Amino acid sequence: MKKKIYLFISCFLLLAVGTRAQHLTDTIVLGGVVITDTLIKKTPFLSTQVSKEIMQSVSTRDVGDYLRSIPNVAGIRKGGGAIDPVVRGFKFSQLNVVMDGGMKIENGCPNRMDPVSAHVEVEELSQINVVKGPFLLNYGPSLGGVIDLQTKDPHPYAKFEIHGNAMFGYETNWDGAKEYFSLYGGNSKVYFRASGGYRKYGNYSSGKADGETTTYNTSFTKYNYGAKAGWAITDKQTILAAYSESHGRDVMFPALTMDEKSDDTRMMSLDYSAKDISEVIKTLDVKIYRTNVNHLMDNSNRETWQAKQMVADVDAINTGGKAILGMKIKNQNLSVGMDFENIYKDGIRTMTMLMMGTTSTKRFNLWNKAVIQNGGVFAGYNTSFKTFKLDAAIRVDFNNADSEDTLKLIKNGVEYFNETASQFVNLSANLGITHKISEKLSVSLAIARGTRSPNMLERYIKLLSVGYDNYDYLGNPQLKPETNNEVDLTVKYSDLKLGSMYVNGFYSYVKDYISAKMLPSSVIMPATLGAPGVKQYVNVDNATFTGFEFGYTSPQAYKLGVNVIAAITYGMIPTVTKYIIKAGQVTGDTVIKNDALPEIPPFETTLSVNYQLLHGKLVPKVSYRLVSAQKHVSDAFYEPETPGFSIMNFSLAYKVSKNIDINAGVNNIFDVSYYEHLNRKIIGSTEKLYEPGRVFFVNLNLSI
Amino acid sequence: MKYALFVLIILGALLFLDISCKNDTHDAGKTTGHISFNFTHLVDWLPLEKDNMKYINAAGNPYEINQVMYFISDVTLHKSDGTSKLISEWTDIHYVDIDIPSTLTWDVYDDIATGAYDSVSFIFGITKEKNQSFRFVNPPEVNMMWPDILGGGYHYMMINGSWKDSENVIKSFAFHLGIGQLYKSNVIEVDSIYAFVQNYFNVKLPNSSFTLEENKTRTIEIIMNADSWFKTPHIYDHNYWGGAIMQKQPAMQMVKENGFDVFRVGAIQ
Repeated sequence: MKKKIYLFISCFLLLAVGTRAQHLTDTIVLGGVVITDTLIKKTPFLSTQVSKEIMQSVSTRDVGDYLRSIPNVAGIRKGGGAIDPVVRGFKFSQLNVVMDGGMKIENGCPNRMDPVSAHVEVEELSQINVVKGPFLLNYGPSLGGVIDLQTKDPHPYAKFEIHGNAMFGYETNWDGAKEYFSLYGGNSKVYFRASGGYRKYGNYSSGKADGETTTYNTSFTKYNYGAKAGWAITDKQTILAAYSESHGRDVMFPALTMDEKSDDTRMMSLDYSAKDISEVIKTLDVKIYRTNVNHLMDNSNRETWQAKQMVADVDAINTGGKAILGMKIKNQNLSVGMDFENIYKDGIRTMTMLMMGTTSTKRFNLWNKAVIQNGGVFAGYNTSFKTFKLDAAIRVDFNNADSEDTLKLIKNGVEYFNETASQFVNLSANLGITHKISEKLSVSLAIARGTRSPNMLERYIKLLSVGYDNYDYLGNPQLKPETNNEVDLTVKYSDLKLGSMYVNGFYSYVKDYISAKMLPSSVIMPATLGAPGVKQYVNVDNATFTGFEFGYTSPQAYKLGVNVIAAITYGMIPTVTKYIIKAGQVTGDTVIKNDALPEIPPFETTLSVNYQLLHGKLVPKVSYRLVSAQKHVSDAFYEPETPGFSIMNFSLAYKVSKNIDINAGVNNIFDVSYYEHLNRKIIGSTEKLYEPGRVFFVNLNLSI
Repeated sequence: MKYALFVLIILGALLFLDISCKNDTHDAGKTTGHISFNFTHLVDWLPLEKDNMKYINAAGNPYEINQVMYFISDVTLHKSDGTSKLISEWTDIHYVDIDIPSTLTWDVYDDIATGAYDSVSFIFGITKEKNQSFRFVNPPEVNMMWPDILGGGYHYMMINGSWKDSENVIKSFAFHLGIGQLYKSNVIEVDSIYAFVQNYFNVKLPNSSFTLEENKTRTIEIIMNADSWFKTPHIYDHNYWGGAIMQKQPAMQMVKENGFDVFRVGAIQ
């Protein structure tokens, strides 16, 4: 009996993994200019931490753009910015992208013109943390990984101080200018931070191919402002209130059927933190938040506007909160917590056709007062014994969704869209062990199960081109959750003279993978100009993701710094139906075995070399990125192959004084004409949206 | 430690427990074939020559045809035992345009049960239920839009051309068929519309029997004899009806009634 009780307790503790302990203290640092940490870490999964210093040293105009420099993180480009991150082939809601450790934003745009990363500016961030795989469970359901965008927080000062910071940046090619200002300070009790930024970019041109460049309509204007105020109630308790807004105007997306006319996002949160509450209870963190997005898009900048006008107006509100208690018993860390989010989405599309001298207008909803509620309880545990470290976590989610949709789509007894309510209980858990073989070498094995419920788009969207192809997509209210069963094996080595390296291999088996299948035109017709048909989200039996990553960083002690990263993901679906299309007509179908998953980035590697001059005040850096062709493409989705390419960048970081930093450089030195595999096609053509050609940039940072 | 490792293994097994295989659900027992339609357009039983004022209709109007566009829908294959197969698994409306070669062939997606079929029928145009505005948003079908104020939806047919009137003046005609309107007065004003008339009609193709064998594709040629729109049972006179008839229900009624023998079946291969 004792053994059974022991086993039960052990089981619980093992399941209850140390999510708190995982909380981003164990990281593998991105290969970049500033190497600040060792690669030998004790967690059995991969996490990457990017500091603000690294972000400031490059010409980043978009968080998603910057994320692409992280190993096995790619991005979907549809315009000049708002690049949507893809981690190990997982994308959209398969990734849990949060701000400030838990605040969530429901993107307003069904085409994902505004992924979470587009609602925050790089200058606002203090760090980015990326955890690959379903290992971090205290930020919400996680299937493919977590991206936490941590904005800068104010902090107390011993006596009253006030500081300021200003940044000016400029990029050639698209005549891009950005400014950012912040003011922060306070005393030991009350402290604050206020900031704002503005950026305006024009159209960029691709690199030269046969002496010719192509200019894309990618201009955008964005501005943001906000403030945070903190109050140190006692030495051990603090409250932090935050409010910010971000706005986009005339953001062009040549790879989408519409452009963003305006996007207005408001974010507010309140955090309470307490520490050293008792001998056992070390921390208590409580957060409540509300984010509100109003997104307006249309095709007024397209030629099609003359004959057919499309305007979509969407409101998305996410309200939620979380509480987490951190405990420590000897060398055991335990955390328990709960979180909740309520997502509300409502949107209308107005279509106006001007033909034969008459006008026809139709309004229909994209979402109709749709609501998703997700409540979760989670626990984490970690401990060390001898040369082993154990990490475990468990999470249970209760998910409800409903909508006021009136659409009924039933044909021949098949319910394509009917009952809108659904409820799920999802279990996620992970378990990992790290064996420290020597002071320099460790091996980690981790297994995980991450389950997430279908999102707003997958459940309720009605006829909009939101996929990688140009098809209109229809939601499916009766989708099931998808579950990622993953195993990671990681070897890490670190030596003061040789440097640090890691190799990771992973395998994901995603059950009930959410994909899409074509619907007959006799069932439903597309509503978007240029859409050849309609696809509906469906669960397919399974899909697999396999891949590896490699990273090497030379010792920090040397003036010469070398960094190498390499990664690949291989996505496959065992059985999929391919529809035969001849001259625009679907004439049959066939079953394909072992087809590639669409939108999986190819193998790529980057070599970076930097050298510290003038006692580290002047650091030139050159990087060379080599990307192979992607020939493992989806036959069923008619995905085209992508040629390989290589580009070289150069930058110079100069710390003029303690108050002035200058970063300058040139990206794509040789003006290579190329596009990433995940870049979307230009609407109305089969051509992909190319990446920018050569760009000279300079960033000036002033601080007092 | 042993227990911990044991639990680790058990948990690992549990995590992957729901990984399972699913059987292929294809229906292997059904014997089916496929059909394909080819659309041919004639005038006076000879291949239509566009943009050539060489034809004379039953009313004696010299005319030429520049464009022919139309929808057929709800194609049904009839068997002698009274059963039928409605073609609708993928597409139930097909658009034909003599200027777009790809529309002149329709490779039907549906699996068709093998056996002997007596005849083929279809709706010329689109039924009321399906003929809704914004059903089509992309060219070429969207160009068939029928104004909402005149009933909405889409043209069933557009034959555009020109004729020489009684004074030998060449005038354009828009021989269009769609939803008709009934007006309160003799003055054709949209404000006086009090009812709409569905002008689609059923066409049963004569001599359209065929046999379908397993895994074979039967190609059926559907012929539109365009001059038949202007005769039997009614003589259609361009000089009388003028160029445009979208708002002339009596003219469209005549066209509808003339449509019964416009289509024939050609080669069945």
